[in-house]
Amino acid sequence: MADVHSGGCQCGAIRFRAEGPIRHASICNCRMCQKALGNLIAPFVQFEAPVVWTRGEPAYFQSSPQVRRGFCRDCGTPLYYRWGQGAYAVAIGALDHPDAVVPSVEYAHDNRHPVFADYNAMVPEALGSTDEERDMLAILKSNQHPDRDTETWPNGS
Amino acid sequence: MTGPVSGGCQCGALRYQATGLGNAHLCHCRMCQKAAGNLFAALVGADTQVWTRGTPSRFASSAHVERGFCANCGTPVFYCDTTGPHYALMAGTLDHPDEIGFEYQSGTESRLAVSLGIAALRERPPTETFEPARARAVAASTNQHPDHETLVWSHKEARHG
Repeated sequence: MADVHSGGCQCGAIRFRAEGPIRHASICNCRMCQKALGNLIAPFVQFEAPVVWTRGEPAYFQSSPQVRRGFCRDCGTPLYYRWGQGAYAVAIGALDHPDAVVPSVEYAHDNRHPVFADYNAMVPEALGSTDEERDMLAILKSNQHPDRDTETWPNGS
Repeated sequence: MTGPVSGGCQCGALRYQATGLGNAHLCHCRMCQKAAGNLFAALVGADTQVWTRGTPSRFASSAHVERGFCANCGTPVFYCDTTGPHYALMAGTLDHPDEIGFEYQSGTESRLAVSLGIAALRERPPTETFEPARARAVAASTNQHPDHETLVWSHKEARHG
């Protein structure tokens, strides 16, 4: 378990696995990464072992001649950043256990969103802390793939 | 901020204009994490929103929520509660996300430890000084839509495999 990292997109059409230690994990604030992920940051991890696509194959957008950005064509989850033919850097949030990866480097600090200046001052709020959220959670039936590999999907368990 | 503000996906196949932005928050729930491939989703509510170019694809992540994305480049663009009023743009798709002030964080029951430590993460110098050749090569050849409206735009097509 220690050095096996599996993951995939939200709908489960794409699954991947890497067996081997983490080579490098980072968070990038650059505008290319922000817009590609529709977010304020882009967390990516590279492994010493190759990433194997165990179900499906991501589509990719060539954001520049040097860089491919992979995603699931069915649900849109951003899946990887790849420079040339280099190792896949997979999106940390797409891992089944994203807490197993701790980024150690931050890129493009100059473009960091102002929210991070007082990030820890923002009010933390668990889901289910309002009536609206409690109602929603009570009847939620998720179509998200579970955070582990499945034999078959969407009919798998 | 009331707008109108503009935004879109990375490749520019999708563009929108929105007004009445508010309720900006970071959501750490596992659904948002996986949909976004990220530590959290940065979301901004909008009173009105018009797609000025293209139509997003949608994935029903549950019976109550649809998540929009660009079929060509994959950028996640919105969260939509299909049974209620909650609609939110993915903040990174705004042309000027720095103008958004975030108010709170939700889904903190699944907030990742690293999210708490972002402020303390080791900084690397800007790519322009650390790897200037690489930065120049990307800047000179980017296929990303600019952070403003364009009258015409030929987006680079996605590929498979």
